[in-house]
Amino acid sequence: MDRSRVTVVIVVLAAALALPFYAGPFWMGLATQIIIFGLLALSVDLLLGHTGLFSLCHASFFAVAAYTTAILQVRYGTPTVFAAPAGVLAGTLLALVFGIAVRTRGVYFILITIALGFIVWGVAYRWSSFTGGDNGVTNVPFPSIGPLAVTSHLQYYYLVLAIVMLCALGYRMLVSSPFGLGLRGIKASESRMRSLGYRTALHLYVAFVLSGALASLAGVLYVYYNRFVNPVTGSFQISVEVALMAIVGGSGTIIGPFIGSGVLLGLRNWVSSFFELHAAVMGVVFIATVLWAPDGLVGLARRLRKRRTGIRKDPA
Amino acid sequence: MKQSALEVEQLVKEFGGLRAVAGVSLSVEAGQRRVLIGPNGAGKTTLFHCITGTLRPSLGRVSLFGRDVTYLEEYERTALGMGRTFQISNVFTELTLLENLTLAIVGTDRRKWTMLRPVRAFGSVREEALQGLEAVGLEHRAAETAQHLSYGERRQLELALALKSNPRLLLLDEPCAGLSPSERQRISRMIADLPRTTTVVMIEHDMDVALGLADRVTVLHRGSVILEGTPDEVQANPKVREVYFGHA
Ligand SMILES: Nc1ncnc2c1ncn2[C@@H]1O[C@H](COP(=O)(O)OP(=O)(O)OP(=O)(O)O)[C@@H](O)[C@H]1O
Ligand SMILES: [Mg+2]
Repeated sequence: MDRSRVTVVIVVLAAALALPFYAGPFWMGLATQIIIFGLLALSVDLLLGHTGLFSLCHASFFAVAAYTTAILQVRYGTPTVFAAPAGVLAGTLLALVFGIAVRTRGVYFILITIALGFIVWGVAYRWSSFTGGDNGVTNVPFPSIGPLAVTSHLQYYYLVLAIVMLCALGYRMLVSSPFGLGLRGIKASESRMRSLGYRTALHLYVAFVLSGALASLAGVLYVYYNRFVNPVTGSFQISVEVALMAIVGGSGTIIGPFIGSGVLLGLRNWVSSFFELHAAVMGVVFIATVLWAPDGLVGLARRLRKRRTGIRKDPA
Repeated sequence: MKQSALEVEQLVKEFGGLRAVAGVSLSVEAGQRRVLIGPNGAGKTTLFHCITGTLRPSLGRVSLFGRDVTYLEEYERTALGMGRTFQISNVFTELTLLENLTLAIVGTDRRKWTMLRPVRAFGSVREEALQGLEAVGLEHRAAETAQHLSYGERRQLELALALKSNPRLLLLDEPCAGLSPSERQRISRMIADLPRTTTVVMIEHDMDVALGLADRVTVLHRGSVILEGTPDEVQANPKVREVYFGHA
């Protein structure tokens, strides 16, 4: 890692750790959401940024995990020790099934994931005796494991921060491993990878399942924060928004999806306080990104820095 | 008789109504250098694709090292010891040369599934990758991405990739096409210097390169083999002169 990247990481971490000392409850809540959705965007970007597959069904894993944990906690009084892992497991099992989508590429992959996503949303919406329909599942308690119980939003913020930081570290390990390099190889040339001995479909399937597992973890973190879950959680709109987060922030990077999450959620909060059309604003942000920062904000920052250092070195 | 590295029996490949390969049989002994020649559109690349598993033949069989691989996937054939280059350079343009070679090296073993150890922790892979680049004279550009390579350099990287999957059978699709004379010489040297444990089947338009390297030459025309023989026999054959050079 070069020096500027280390600096960025340290500044971001310090800001996140110190946040409760300078931000009120509203901002704390927003920050928790940004981190959780950042993790969801990161999970989408394992496919998008590293394999080139554009998934639009990640809200499904997120929602199935959230529903599973919520229903177990609320309706059956299952303790967090079981309810939280069960949520991750349920979302991951769904990813094992939806993983068949990797048999297709390009626009067909996008279409299949959209269709799969609508199935989950439809079930959540219609199977109301189990999912609570439109109302969803409410009154999810804070998580508690034995004597260790989260009792405030502040504590939960730190818990989420810690878990997501561990995930980011694991993710970093994964993408710099031979397996992760293989994914980027498939993105660059799948036919070449096959001729080098890779069973590319299996590589992509494994990546899809890992990505689904990460999205499921985000779903469990989300339901304990939000205290309720309804079909909107698994909607197409969420799938699109998290993909946008990854692209706006910087696809193929780790910090990018979190930055994108911050920009989009921050903007939505700000805009919707005086304006009904936050979806239109998201559209404008996306178009601006594609036109002026195709590599996202991280890519833009890198480009600007390169230009600046380039000028400084020039007069020789 | 020596064991054959490659055996093709009555292979047919049709595209719609077009018979690109119309019943080709071919047997290449282990260790041989075989060159495939033939005019544009003769079906050489298509035949290659059927041998590697990139395309499924319409009819016929393919065996590698005495094993029927007709129904095996491309990655399974590679695992048996097959390596190939593409007629149009097919390298990982977004990755560095070192990463390109790394993918080729770990592609044929279980290390490609390692998830919890960074690539840079595999020192021996790095060394092997640098050796592979050195062999084609690209070691000084190891850290650059392949998109910065010239056309000729990409051809060289292409060859380095094929060699690093440790092939017992190497299939080269016009490795020298479009290269400068000096690059051409370097590549033909490299191919000539390969150990005889590697069987080479090469498509080549350049007669000098082809005839210099080949033990035997197979001439393909409109999807069929019209002649097989030593370089001298092929050169002397009037039929070959007609289809290949357009005059007798
Ligand atoms: N994927 C495909 N679909 C349809 N037709 C194809 C396809 N690939 C090749 N062909 C046709 O099959 C015939 C043989 O093509 P092939 O590329 O095998 O020839 P070649 O001998 O390699 O020629 P060249 O010397 O130009 O590389 C050509 O007529 C070509 O147009
Ligand atoms: Mg060809």
